[in-house]
Amino acid sequence: MSTQYGFYFIKEKCIQCFGCEVACKSWREAELGVRWRRVHNIWYGRFPNVKTASASISCMHCVDPVCVKVCPVGAIKKRAEDGIVVVDRSKCTGCKTCLKECPFSAPQFGEDGRMQKCDMCMNEVDLSNEFPPCIETCPTKALQFTKMDTKEKITIEQEIQKLIAL
Amino acid sequence: MSMEKKKNQWLLDRRTFLKATGAGIAGVAMGTFPFESFTLDEAMAAAAKGGETVMPTFCGMCGPAANCGIYAFTKNGRFTKVAGMKESSVNNGSLCPKGHAAPQWVYSPERLKYPLKRVGEKGEGKFQKITWNEAIEIIADTLKRQKEKYGPESLGTLSPARRTYSEYVYRFLIAHGSPNYGHSGICAMQRSFGLHYTVGAWPIPVDYGKSDVILIWGRQPIYSGPAMGDARAIVNAKGRGAKIIAIKPTVEPDVGLADMWVPVRPGTDTALALAMLNVVVNENLIDNEFVEKWCYGYDQLKDHVQKYPPTWAEKITGIPSEQITEIARIYAMAKRAGIDFGNGVEHTPSSNDVIRAVGILIAITGHLDRPGGNFLGPPISKMPRPKSVHLRERYTQEWVDKLVYPEFPKPFQPFVEGTSSAYYGLFDSVLTEKPYPIRSIIAPGSQSIVSTRGSKRVVEALKKLEFYVVVDVTRTADMDYADIVIPTATPYEIDHPFECGGNWIMARNRVIQPLGDYKSIFEFLCDLGVKMGYGSDFWNGSMVDSMNDQLKPFGINIDDLRKYPTGIKYEMVPIQYEKYETVFKRKSSQLSGAPFLPQGKVAIYNTSFKEAGFNPLPEWKEPPESITGTPELTKKYPLILSDYHTSSVYTASWQRNVPYLREILPYPMLHIHPDTASERGIKNGDWVRVESPYGWMKVKAEIYPGTRPDTVMILHGWWQGCKELGFEDYPLLDGGANVNVMYSVDPEKAFDPIVTAMASQTLVQVTKA
Repeated sequence: MSTQYGFYFIKEKCIQCFGCEVACKSWREAELGVRWRRVHNIWYGRFPNVKTASASISCMHCVDPVCVKVCPVGAIKKRAEDGIVVVDRSKCTGCKTCLKECPFSAPQFGEDGRMQKCDMCMNEVDLSNEFPPCIETCPTKALQFTKMDTKEKITIEQEIQKLIAL
Repeated sequence: MSMEKKKNQWLLDRRTFLKATGAGIAGVAMGTFPFESFTLDEAMAAAAKGGETVMPTFCGMCGPAANCGIYAFTKNGRFTKVAGMKESSVNNGSLCPKGHAAPQWVYSPERLKYPLKRVGEKGEGKFQKITWNEAIEIIADTLKRQKEKYGPESLGTLSPARRTYSEYVYRFLIAHGSPNYGHSGICAMQRSFGLHYTVGAWPIPVDYGKSDVILIWGRQPIYSGPAMGDARAIVNAKGRGAKIIAIKPTVEPDVGLADMWVPVRPGTDTALALAMLNVVVNENLIDNEFVEKWCYGYDQLKDHVQKYPPTWAEKITGIPSEQITEIARIYAMAKRAGIDFGNGVEHTPSSNDVIRAVGILIAITGHLDRPGGNFLGPPISKMPRPKSVHLRERYTQEWVDKLVYPEFPKPFQPFVEGTSSAYYGLFDSVLTEKPYPIRSIIAPGSQSIVSTRGSKRVVEALKKLEFYVVVDVTRTADMDYADIVIPTATPYEIDHPFECGGNWIMARNRVIQPLGDYKSIFEFLCDLGVKMGYGSDFWNGSMVDSMNDQLKPFGINIDDLRKYPTGIKYEMVPIQYEKYETVFKRKSSQLSGAPFLPQGKVAIYNTSFKEAGFNPLPEWKEPPESITGTPELTKKYPLILSDYHTSSVYTASWQRNVPYLREILPYPMLHIHPDTASERGIKNGDWVRVESPYGWMKVKAEIYPGTRPDTVMILHGWWQGCKELGFEDYPLLDGGANVNVMYSVDPEKAFDPIVTAMASQTLVQVTKA
């Protein structure tokens, strides 16, 4: 695949308002306790030279998703046409292997115990011409969404991993 | 939206992104992006897809006014979700988490759905359901009786954050005959007072688009209205290379965006500002021409600040003297520098001093009303101002003399928002009966037990108070002490009032019908006004007539305004700088109309304050308890405690009952430095006991690297549970999570002598619970 949809995040612009996280919950009627998107504050350094970085993370719809590989029942697939990583919840057994292996801790488990996560609102909005609500609501446009090539997509995944590891 | 437009944005964004990843994150150039969120047509198309309907209106999840524009979606008559309104010049289509969580607030099991009358003892929480008309009748009968027996001034009202209905509350008080509008004493008006009487104007926003250096001082531009533009202004200023210095006790997201953090001890900003003045004066980093032409009393200042060298301030503020000197130089020497000065400085006994000191600093360094500095008043538009609801013309000296506990000294009353007594002062008068006791309090949208200092005294006062009316959307902390509880509509259930702010006016539209026997707070005040016999002052109960009356300067009525579903926007007046000639001559709000600045110049040496018996120059005053002020207490209570006013997910003391918000911040967290915690064997998430000389809290510890090792901080306003998530209420007083039990309310030590600001600093010990 040469291009796919992807989020990208400009950490210098994020103000940690949590608008994206709650827009996601509200628009997708998320059950309580489930967070498809999460805003993180990451500390580094020591007082008084302590710094923070921000991250807004959901499923990254990885170019090479480890969850797809490790799922013992083959419930997770990466769609060829747009790169969206989807889960077939009827197949999921709730073993949480995907969560253990995901570098972004993206998989979520609600009351029914089956994996759920960001699906890029693929059935809610026309991704060729509209943005998911998490993108629309961002006051500083720190969180963005576009079609990108594989190389760019991998760079983004690496940047977020570096951010988490700070 | 056209496909092409979207694509263009992608290209623009992609370029920025590639720069970010290619050139390294440190070198990222951050442009301003067009906002792509919903227009009315797009919102309607999105709604149609899901079988929903959409209504343009205002968000109601924070305050004060100038609400964000939203599209509210409903399905089968139920309010389901919200999107930001692109056409709104307040939020430009973006929206914060509070705005998105609105439907959960509206349908909360905590909603009050019918009026209640207390049947048990005060505080017992036993009520009987009554009708709206019965409730209005009981209140009117009581107020009429008390007015006859004790005079109309025996009624006071509590003011929450300023809202559109604040003017209606004033109107009711004035029609009734009472000056006792109980204003919080800790929010906005303290800055307004100090700056009006120093530089002649307020607000004095930073010209963000042009500043080279910005000091964010005691301000939180992200937790308060993140969608409203200030946060964007900071991000954009940083993107074009402005240097940002954040002055506040702990690291918040704005500190994360800053180039330098100045971790000042809570309540010591005055010492910091005085030492910065010392540096600027002694190094002659002033604008000589401006000082000579437009400042009064610079010579007195020069002598006065010799008492306050940076080495003196270092001991008090905890900021190294070198850093104080450095920030003073950076600010004074920058060609274009602004100070974004926030509510954090309004919570200390030397509040008026720091506000004046900063006003003087801005002026003498030549940063007042110059490009990139602080504007003398916000940029204005060509929009007319609606006719005021206030009945200001009825104020008299006798009126001012009747104030029970003036928020500002009587010679300065009425101030810009009207006459006011201090919020806490209303309760104090109930207990001291000096100069007379308040007999009835109406509390709209306000929870005194958790919102003002001295919660234990507030509870005593509530037990003694003759008649207490709670007016709110959901259950409140004070409700068990109410004689009558008036439920009110959320802003999503009413079609009034219109709102206007900046350059934009729009009608409010009803999203859903009310869920019970209640009306809006506006209708409550109108109905009560009519019942009291003040009908002619209350449009005989008609909010339509009220809105039409206010809209007269626009030459339209409310039906006309509704024809513009996303409102009307007016052109901005081109920005003018250096408006000294006109602004410095402005008449004050005093009855005499005396000018704010008697010399027509910046009042460095303040003759107005001197004449009223106060310090003509800003001075330092310790908080009631502090490391340098009361060192004898530090053995038992070694840490400074202060609190945050608001947070990313809660507006002040409400919204803890909203599940989507509560999930993000489920517990009251004490921010504690890792070393301070480990010395006490405290781990992240442990329950801890926090004890001050006045009370104690049981809260959770959050190991917080971005706080001073000698300081702990917590969010104020915790008491309410969240049924959906299984959280019970916390106790209101000792052993709960209400930080306001922790502070002194000693009349000699805990208040600013001019502006009645209350201290939110004390000393504490923290132990594992």
